[in-house]
Amino acid sequence: MLPPLSTKYTCSTLKETAFFKGASELAFALDPLPKDELPSPPPFTEEDARDLDAVTLAKSYFDLKEYDRAAYFLRACCSQKAYFLYMYSRYLSGEKKKDDETVDSLGPLEKGQVRNEALRELRVELSKKHSAGELDGFALYLYGVVLRKLDLLKEAVDVLVEALHALPLHWGAWLELSNLVTNIDMLKSLSLPDCWVKDFFMAQMYTELQMIKEALQKYHSLIQAGFSKSTYIISQIAVAYHNIRDIDQALALFNELREQDPCRIDNMDTFSNLLYVKGMKPELSYLAHNLVEIDKYRVETCCVIGNYYSLRSQHEKAALYFQRALKLNPRCLGAWTLMGHEYMEMKNTSAAIQAYRHAIEVNKRDYRAWYGLGQTYEILKMPFYCLYYYRKAHQLRPNDSRMLVALGESYEKLSQQGEAKKCYWRAYSVGDVEKMALLKLAKLHEQLNESDDAARCYMFYIQDIFSCAEQLEHAEVSTALRYLGQYYFKNKLYDEASLCAQRCCDYNDAREEGKALLRQISQVRDQTETPSADLFAPLSNNNTPVRRVSPLNLISFTP
Amino acid sequence: MASVHESLYFNPMMTNGVVHANVFGIKDWVTPYKISVLALLYEMTAAKISLLERRRLNKLILPLQQGPDLSLGQFLRTVEECCPQTAYAIKLRLQEMAEGELKDMEYFFSTLPTPFTAFDSEAYKTSVVGLFMRHMLLAYNKLSFSQVYKLYKSLQEYYHSHCSKPSEGQVSLSVLAADDSDMDLTSTEDTVGDRMESKALDTPLHLSELRIDNAPSKGPLSQKQAEYFLARQAYLMKNDENKALKPAELQEELNNMLKFNPDFAEAHYLNYLNSMRVQDIFLSTHSLLHYFDRFILSGNDGKSNGDEGYGRSLRYAALNLASLHCRFGHYQQADLALQEAIRIAQESNDHVCLQHCLSWVYTLEQMKGFDSTVLTEDSVKMAAQFCLPYLASLGIQSLVQQGATQGKTAHKLMDALKDTDILHWKHSLSELIEISLAQTTSIWRMYGKSTMALQQAQLLLNMSSLEPVNFGVQQNNTEAFAIALCHLAELHAEQGLYGAVSEILQHLKEQFPPHTQHAKLWMLCDLKIQFDRHMNKGKYLLAEPLVAAISALNKTEGLYRKAQVLKALNRSTEAHKILQQLQVHCERTKCTEIIIRAMLSMAEHHWESSGFSTALPLVLQALALAREHHLQALASETILHLAFTQLMLGVPEQALCVLHEAMEPILAHGAVLDKGRAMLLAARCQMAVAGFKPNGQGQPDLPLIRLAVASLNEAAAYFSKLNCKERLRDVSYLQAQLHRSLGQTLQSNKSSMLFRLLNQELQSPAPPVSMRL
Repeated sequence: MLPPLSTKYTCSTLKETAFFKGASELAFALDPLPKDELPSPPPFTEEDARDLDAVTLAKSYFDLKEYDRAAYFLRACCSQKAYFLYMYSRYLSGEKKKDDETVDSLGPLEKGQVRNEALRELRVELSKKHSAGELDGFALYLYGVVLRKLDLLKEAVDVLVEALHALPLHWGAWLELSNLVTNIDMLKSLSLPDCWVKDFFMAQMYTELQMIKEALQKYHSLIQAGFSKSTYIISQIAVAYHNIRDIDQALALFNELREQDPCRIDNMDTFSNLLYVKGMKPELSYLAHNLVEIDKYRVETCCVIGNYYSLRSQHEKAALYFQRALKLNPRCLGAWTLMGHEYMEMKNTSAAIQAYRHAIEVNKRDYRAWYGLGQTYEILKMPFYCLYYYRKAHQLRPNDSRMLVALGESYEKLSQQGEAKKCYWRAYSVGDVEKMALLKLAKLHEQLNESDDAARCYMFYIQDIFSCAEQLEHAEVSTALRYLGQYYFKNKLYDEASLCAQRCCDYNDAREEGKALLRQISQVRDQTETPSADLFAPLSNNNTPVRRVSPLNLISFTP
Repeated sequence: MASVHESLYFNPMMTNGVVHANVFGIKDWVTPYKISVLALLYEMTAAKISLLERRRLNKLILPLQQGPDLSLGQFLRTVEECCPQTAYAIKLRLQEMAEGELKDMEYFFSTLPTPFTAFDSEAYKTSVVGLFMRHMLLAYNKLSFSQVYKLYKSLQEYYHSHCSKPSEGQVSLSVLAADDSDMDLTSTEDTVGDRMESKALDTPLHLSELRIDNAPSKGPLSQKQAEYFLARQAYLMKNDENKALKPAELQEELNNMLKFNPDFAEAHYLNYLNSMRVQDIFLSTHSLLHYFDRFILSGNDGKSNGDEGYGRSLRYAALNLASLHCRFGHYQQADLALQEAIRIAQESNDHVCLQHCLSWVYTLEQMKGFDSTVLTEDSVKMAAQFCLPYLASLGIQSLVQQGATQGKTAHKLMDALKDTDILHWKHSLSELIEISLAQTTSIWRMYGKSTMALQQAQLLLNMSSLEPVNFGVQQNNTEAFAIALCHLAELHAEQGLYGAVSEILQHLKEQFPPHTQHAKLWMLCDLKIQFDRHMNKGKYLLAEPLVAAISALNKTEGLYRKAQVLKALNRSTEAHKILQQLQVHCERTKCTEIIIRAMLSMAEHHWESSGFSTALPLVLQALALAREHHLQALASETILHLAFTQLMLGVPEQALCVLHEAMEPILAHGAVLDKGRAMLLAARCQMAVAGFKPNGQGQPDLPLIRLAVASLNEAAAYFSKLNCKERLRDVSYLQAQLHRSLGQTLQSNKSSMLFRLLNQELQSPAPPVSMRL
């Protein structure tokens, strides 16, 4: 495997800060190479030498964000590097002007129309050079970016893939491409260069497409291949664990990450989400203070503080900080959703709805926002109306039990028991996080007088609860036991019934009933004697496999 | 505290984290096009223009102010058509500004007549023009330095995109464009937007086009323009879908609008309506919910938890969702959504909303095929109590419809309709007036009074639109019109006027293209007419494939037609089975007309097996039913059947007597086919009464025979109108016999020849004359 040093070298001359950071991080993560094994810098052509002064001058202007000036001094240069820098400064100058224009637009409707005027010119020039085959990897990358900004997505994908073939180590191009890939089929159809960076890319794509298992596999193999110290990979794995709600794993990784890289701000909002879910106030508070010291005007910092206030039930303040995050970056998806949650807490449903809608506008695939909308309408007592939103959320996360349970509850409210049953059963089958589906299913069966089904569900429920090591605060084992006791009693299975009744006595709320049942059983037993059997023997013998459910916390902060 | 944050956050100017200049809620913005309009107004106040031209220009002002931004070429051309001199002056003025300096534009704005001082001019502050000018001046004065400069630059661009490039001396202004050559390059081979513009330049724009034109605007619309656009499209979609933009185009336009202003909730609603046109449930649900999500906020400023604004939109959201599911035929979902709306409305004591819900409830019940008379009556009573004339008369109309099918007496129905009509005219509910007329047409038609039906249909069709605002729509293209036209087509078909029928259908096809909502009406009508024609001509095999198509549109009708075809093809067992099935089905759905028809068909089956006495009770039952429901046309037809049965049972005198009863209404209102059948039957009865025997035995009553000949001639005339060859063959057979008995050999031979020719042509062996009506 080739270390990313050559990229680092090129990038450092071009100073593309963000990519440079990534490459350097990776390089740092590797074991240092002995001096003689360092790769030779790329050949220094005559053209480069001729343009050296101009490029150096332009680069200093570029670094000072005087893009027009940089472009002006580069206009006569002909080396590839100078050409890229020339075009890139023009592109950035256009972007900067666009941002400035937004403030001064001639009306709210024109606002959306403000665009980077340089894009079209750049496209014309680049496409000319492209058809002549004169573009190097960086210039191709820029061409791809320009095409994407012009909404020519298909062309952009083609050009970016070409750019990657020319320069596979350029992570920026991979990132651009990752923004354009929308589904797994498209990902598979791309012909990407076979390079170690591809593994990083694939892992990231898997995470984005919610194929967490594959992503984790990729990352682990990368770690084994020598990137074990890479903070990037650790953070990505942690995010992946967060996505599949494996909170403890994710927390452990984030803590490790903080040790290795204490001043890191990236991904810390995810970390704070985890802390929030766990209700770890002191840790969250520490994190918030720490981040404020590092840089208080970062989106991540604001999100962390928002979470902190939210955990302290100061929802107004939390909303304020999420607003601040949005001011810093209006396209920050997480903040919109989180703000929606805050408004929900404040019972300001209309504001919540708008926040969620904004989130959906930024990313249509944000299931949390859809779920949040559903919840809002559920609070407004519109079970039919919220079905649509829950369905949307379910569509995006077909294997998430929370949406299914929510759907089931809505159906139940609409007295569509058939649909509700299906939802609950499905929620149980995909691995119920909150362990509520079975209980609800059992109660539904109980309502419908389907006592056999109800008993079976309660049995599964008890099994499920006990197989899960953690103690769940809202577990209703007593309800299940009570029902099972009565059920067995009715079916004249007195041994099982008495066992259930005895267990009942362990719980405060069911003790009296348990005792009563025991008395009844002994009365009946006096009349007839039946052979005894163990209650839980048939349970473990029956052919339903005892699923090992990963111990998850129930209080989930982000739905 | 919360409210403070809210106001901070929900400041619409803050969407991108930036506060926009729109602090005072000005909805209009100065654009280069608006400057041209201002120039036009300025010229009109300043220059001397002849009266005729002034009139034309005056007519132009409003559409120019309200319409989307035009390119300079289009604008000048439009003005030129009214007054070339003014157009030239405007062009000069714009050139002055565009090729001069920034101060020229500033000077232009300062020279505009201020609406506050000019008391006697048209630009006084209260006039339309004055208002526009005030808006513009205000908007201009509020622009920041860089915005003014930007406006000026876009004005230059606007001007130069139409007129030639500035001369070399004046390039100095565009110093910023360091790479001038590149600019030129791009402007020549540029993206779609510019090409469209240049194309649009080539086509001159007329005033009429400007009014009705749906040419998608190029640039973003200002809020006013967008509102105007949405209102017009929504109106057109409701009243004359053909004139609205094509679904795909409209979608594109809306997407464009939403891209520029995602908060423009009404666009989502139009999107919903548009998706309904193409039966796209996915998109329409999405847009509807999106609209209400947005609306919940825009409908009320700040007082979000107040009962009035916010809760109101919630229940209407649920109600709209119900109507959506209703449109797509998801009755269960519609029911659930409706219940939700009702519950929320009840909780907040919103009687108006509850009334709307109730009217949907009975509509839903009706659509599901249940009896909802009681519900409807309640709805009408309550609506009247809450002074909701629209809902009340809608309920009455629905009651009338139900009453008509259930056999309420005619005068009651007509009275009810008359009363609602008074209400409609009082409140000018034009939509309901149309429905009422269409309903009257249908009722008259059901009772078999074709002349009255014809008259009512014509009344509706000749009525011009009653809408207060109509965007160039002469006549509404609503369901009522479709129904009236269909009736018209069927009435013409009954009289054998197929040329007129095809013209009417052609018109229907144009007005209601196949993808539109009401197209099914004329499709069914067209199929029925074709089917009847084939059946009359005896081309049963051609009629058969139509049955499937009819069944797709209307299951009951399809079953009935299927039975008819099968019977004609001599597959009586199957036909009989279907008829029985049909009768059971119709008795459940209370579809009296089809029940009677089915009974008559079954009676015909009995005739075929010579079971005339078994057919009699069926016919009598049908007659009773028809009389009970006042279905005159059907009653007459039943009497024909009765008379025929009696004739066959050997009581021709009685038959003739019964027949006379039906003759008058048939000749007055009946279809041509019925007239012919009646005359033929009359002739046969007369023959029987006269004691006529085919083999010439006995002494027939000659005057009666002559009467019979006359009847037969008349019948032949009717049948030939319909080109009904089988019956013509029967007629000529009888004619030949009669003429022979009268000793008129020549006529007898002629008739015989006709018979022979028809027989050869038809190929199928003639069924015994006695066996059919």
